[in-house]
Amino acid sequence: MSSRRDYSRARVVAVLSALLVLILVDHFHSATFARNSGEAGVTTSYSQLDSGACAPCGAPCRPDE
Amino acid sequence: MNMAAAASTIPDQGPRADRFIVITAAIGLVLMAGLISLEAPIDRVWLLLIGTGLGIALYHAAFGFTAGWRNLVTERRSGGLRAQMVLLAIASVLFIPVLGFADSLGLTGISGTLAPVGISLVVGSFLFGFGMQLGGGCGSGTLFTVGAGNLRMMITLITFIAGSVLGTMHLPAWLAMPGVDPVNLIESLGVGPTLALQLVLIGLLAAGFAALERRRHGHVARVLQARPESGIVTTLIQGRWPLLWGALALALLNLATLLVSGYPWGITFAFGLWGAKILQAFGVDMAQWSFWTWDYPSLALKDSLLVNVVSVMNFGLLLGAMLAAGLAGRFNQASRRTLGTRSVIAAIVGGLSMGYGARLGFGCNIGAMFSGIASASLHGWIWFACAFAGSLVGIRARPWFGLAG
Repeated sequence: MSSRRDYSRARVVAVLSALLVLILVDHFHSATFARNSGEAGVTTSYSQLDSGACAPCGAPCRPDE
Repeated sequence: MNMAAAASTIPDQGPRADRFIVITAAIGLVLMAGLISLEAPIDRVWLLLIGTGLGIALYHAAFGFTAGWRNLVTERRSGGLRAQMVLLAIASVLFIPVLGFADSLGLTGISGTLAPVGISLVVGSFLFGFGMQLGGGCGSGTLFTVGAGNLRMMITLITFIAGSVLGTMHLPAWLAMPGVDPVNLIESLGVGPTLALQLVLIGLLAAGFAALERRRHGHVARVLQARPESGIVTTLIQGRWPLLWGALALALLNLATLLVSGYPWGITFAFGLWGAKILQAFGVDMAQWSFWTWDYPSLALKDSLLVNVVSVMNFGLLLGAMLAAGLAGRFNQASRRTLGTRSVIAAIVGGLSMGYGARLGFGCNIGAMFSGIASASLHGWIWFACAFAGSLVGIRARPWFGLAG
């Protein structure tokens, strides 16, 4: 352990737990969760991987892609 | 004997690992990996681990873009920028043949980072360069310092997210201004000439930076060839990596990202996405902005962060940096100094400017510059030039906010 702790352990746990809760809430409202729960005809990020490969930088796809 | 006196008599054995932070980060990683593997195919777990590796490399090598640029301008020290040139050279050697011969290599569905060249790119990258000098870090720098517990950088990150969302609202209008479609040098020139051209350009830039340092100081500091201060294993775990190790790790892990996800490493799209999801949670209809009706953004908005490549890698990067800071015994050490009002204002202005600029410029030092240049996209080079120009203005503005020049 370093000679002086520069943080509050409780605060670190609280922040990480809050982030985890937010991620879970987002997930429970997502297309992937719906599909995994048996809902049919749901489009998820996986169905788009090939055709959308130009877009993650935020640029629009070229017309031929 | 008081505590301070007692401490002064203990020989300095260097920082020891902070077990609480190491265990917390490890639990976080296991939880995330478990959740992702339950709900998504295994590639997202690999991407989480690649992100973790990137976070460790960034933290342990202290591989920041912002200070490297500033050191050249204010002190004529070129080590940081020369390390970045080595990074770009290694990445070019790895990426250009893979992208150029993807079909022959049986690699289907992979693509480099390509983006249009126009007013949007020029303005966005200039704003980003300006903001990174006030915010105290670029996209990767902001994320890994937040992971290492830096409070000021958390302010930068929050405003970075706000600026990114604003940028997504305005991007279509900016794209309507003059510009041309993405220019892919591999398609235009072929693999060999593109690689040769990029390596010559990178070499000339590195030589130019070194010449500036030599003119001021009479010699060029041997930062890149520096040997680790401890043994190799200790240095790998506890940090202070030579910059060369950092460059090598970042280039290899970016290649791994390309091969696993289908496209190179990016960071800032996720910031806009996170902000948009927050607004949506408060009832804002994001579909009123056309950016969020485009294929990739609209689906990312509907889908889980646990399957969004950029977000998953960012989570890994944050936890990796936290793990590295814990192993080095330096978690949150950067927050010892009290935050002044002007410093906070600089973080807010810097974060907003970077966020807005990242959307207009199609990414940050990682997504646009590193991955863009590695993909031999012209926009990566233009981003670098314009962001450096913006950085010059940002460096001039730093004293107004009480920041060291």
